[in-house]
Amino acid sequence: MRAVSISVFAVAAVGVATLFALPFLLSQGLLNAAVQMLIAALFASAYNLLCGQAGMLSFGHAAYFGVGAFGTVHAMNAIGGAGLLPTPLLPLVGAAFGLVFGAVAGWFATQRTGTYFAMITLAIAELVHSLAPHLKGLFGGEAGVSTMRMPAWGFDFGSTTQVYYLTLGWALLCVGLLYFFTHTPLGRLVYGLRENSHRLRFLGYNVHGLGIAVFAISAMFSGVAGALQVMSNESANYVVFDPGLSAAVILNSYIGGVKMFLGPALGAALMTFFGYAVSDLTQSWLLYQGILFVLVMMFMPAGLAGLPGTLSRLRQRFGLARAMPLVLLSMGAAILLSLGGAFAIELLQRLFSQDYRSAVRLHPGEAWPPVMLLSREWSPASMATWSVPLLLFAAGLLLAWLARRRGAALEGGQVERMPPGLAVPRTEGAA
Amino acid sequence: MDQFLVSLMNGVIYGLLLFMVSAGLTLIFGMMGVLNFAHASFYMLGAYFAYTLQDLIGFWGAVLVSPVLVGLVGVAVERFFLRRVHQYGHAHELLLTFGLSFIVAESIKLFFGNFPVDYRIPAALDVPAFAIGGAQYPVYRLLMGGIAIAMFIVIYLLLTRTRVGIVVRSAIYKPRMAEALGHNVPLVFMGVFGVGAALAGLAGAVAGAFYTTNPNMALELGVMVFVVVVVGGLGSLGGAMLASLLIGVVTSLAVSVDRSLADLFALVGAGAWARDVGGLLTLKISSLSATIPFALMLLILLVRPGGLMGEKV
Repeated sequence: MRAVSISVFAVAAVGVATLFALPFLLSQGLLNAAVQMLIAALFASAYNLLCGQAGMLSFGHAAYFGVGAFGTVHAMNAIGGAGLLPTPLLPLVGAAFGLVFGAVAGWFATQRTGTYFAMITLAIAELVHSLAPHLKGLFGGEAGVSTMRMPAWGFDFGSTTQVYYLTLGWALLCVGLLYFFTHTPLGRLVYGLRENSHRLRFLGYNVHGLGIAVFAISAMFSGVAGALQVMSNESANYVVFDPGLSAAVILNSYIGGVKMFLGPALGAALMTFFGYAVSDLTQSWLLYQGILFVLVMMFMPAGLAGLPGTLSRLRQRFGLARAMPLVLLSMGAAILLSLGGAFAIELLQRLFSQDYRSAVRLHPGEAWPPVMLLSREWSPASMATWSVPLLLFAAGLLLAWLARRRGAALEGGQVERMPPGLAVPRTEGAA
Repeated sequence: MDQFLVSLMNGVIYGLLLFMVSAGLTLIFGMMGVLNFAHASFYMLGAYFAYTLQDLIGFWGAVLVSPVLVGLVGVAVERFFLRRVHQYGHAHELLLTFGLSFIVAESIKLFFGNFPVDYRIPAALDVPAFAIGGAQYPVYRLLMGGIAIAMFIVIYLLLTRTRVGIVVRSAIYKPRMAEALGHNVPLVFMGVFGVGAALAGLAGAVAGAFYTTNPNMALELGVMVFVVVVVGGLGSLGGAMLASLLIGVVTSLAVSVDRSLADLFALVGAGAWARDVGGLLTLKISSLSATIPFALMLLILLVRPGGLMGEKV
């Protein structure tokens, strides 16, 4: 046990050191993306306290993010633009707004559990979303509210590097606090809330109060994330209340894996990075994100963060040499299938785009013009174009089938060698 | 008065449209315990399928064929997606349908573009039915209402008067007992899911032509439909009807109210104070019409957690 915790500590230390070194390694544009990744990671961690740890599925977490953001923007503009607090402490305002609004909303939402809870959170978020454009004084209407980061404590917060360190400091502090919270008695009770709330009530705990507390704490950290967003953008717009943001945090968290503490943060950072990296290459990023989410929900309920665990379990059970072909086959299948899928989607996207359609309509009767993809021209009428994704799919499916057979063979051998009754139930893995 | 009458009728017809979509949703929930997030996506698919088909087989053909296609999509969703994750629990199913609704919306954007498409009612139907105080009332609205009412009657009779209805109701009430008695409950589930999807598709095919057909229509209507089923009581068909009409009429009437909360305060002599406070208090009710359903839902959940006609909680 000791050895494990030391290695975990070492990995965490290396990770934090890397984060601190990033401004020396990255360009300005990438550093900006890193700021967004940190904010998304913090937001996902805050969300996961509610959905992963307490088992309360919220479909409207953008509301608390947005309330924290607008609280902060008004605090920054307070006292003639001097700011209510020194710039580095402003996320506290976001936290306070998130906490208060979260406590009120949580009081409503935690009246019910399960599906009803999800619907109430959705309704509260939509309530704010539909109200915000009409309250120009508070939310600034179409133009939003803009602001300035004031110099404080010897920093001017003019450069991306300083903003990055400010965001990093707050993100690390908040994620650390969230982690610490899971080890407090209250944090342990939260797991009880997820597993069996009836039993908690029988043991004499105030389940409704507990639910409100978790909800408010999650909203508080979401508010901090919103505050950091405002401080990075120096503006806030009612677009933050958009259901898209609530959806993004759900997708990110589950793709990352809600069963692990850092899973959602990693998922959010990864998805934000990809969103940034491929935004020039594709217009269908949200579609890929949705497909990835559905695949994760269907085949890997533990999320991407569950993969290392699955791998080490396979190694423990079958040994490295015997598990390796299975892992390689599965990876090959995944890569081929995603390449085929991406190729097909990109091809379709170009064929159905408005430019292409008007080009076709301009020259009726002629052959359809070729489309550009991967700096090559592809003719939509030729077999060769469509055989690329088809071949990729076929090869991927073949590998998947081989991997499945391989997995079944491993399982079969394992069960035979074990005395009856000790056979381990089939686990996720190859599929 | 004429204005009021027109608003009232528009509200009733919008409510009937809401019912067409929420009927399937509430039936599916009552049966499988799954709140199908993708249900409004079926509504959108119905509109887009009909839009694509109308050039080939005409408007009425499209309106008839499109629900069938949407029903098949629904059957596929139940058979190949929901049934696979059933073992992980309802939250997982809810999330999966959420992901599917996301994929449907993004695919629509991919194929049809992120803007409204030109799906219109045929010119023959684009005529006024009668005039109220100088305003012409379109015949198509009445048609939509008629289709919804016919649908309600058919579902009601099907569920209460036929043998299939008995099996379906027993599968909703006690699925395991129904299965033990030899009924193929998974098939019943799949059927109800498909029929629910087809009903939403029909609503989309009919209403998409009247309102706009764009990639956001699922989200806009979907949230409203959730409000309807929660207010009406999850799983209750009658409740869905009542709540649909209530919300349709309330939102429609609110648009024409040019008053604000400040006027209410003025009755007790605090009008000037309220106008000074501004913000929410001086906001016109008309601009709140999109907000009222959500406030209504929160109110209902507080005073009657099971919904208007739901079971006691």
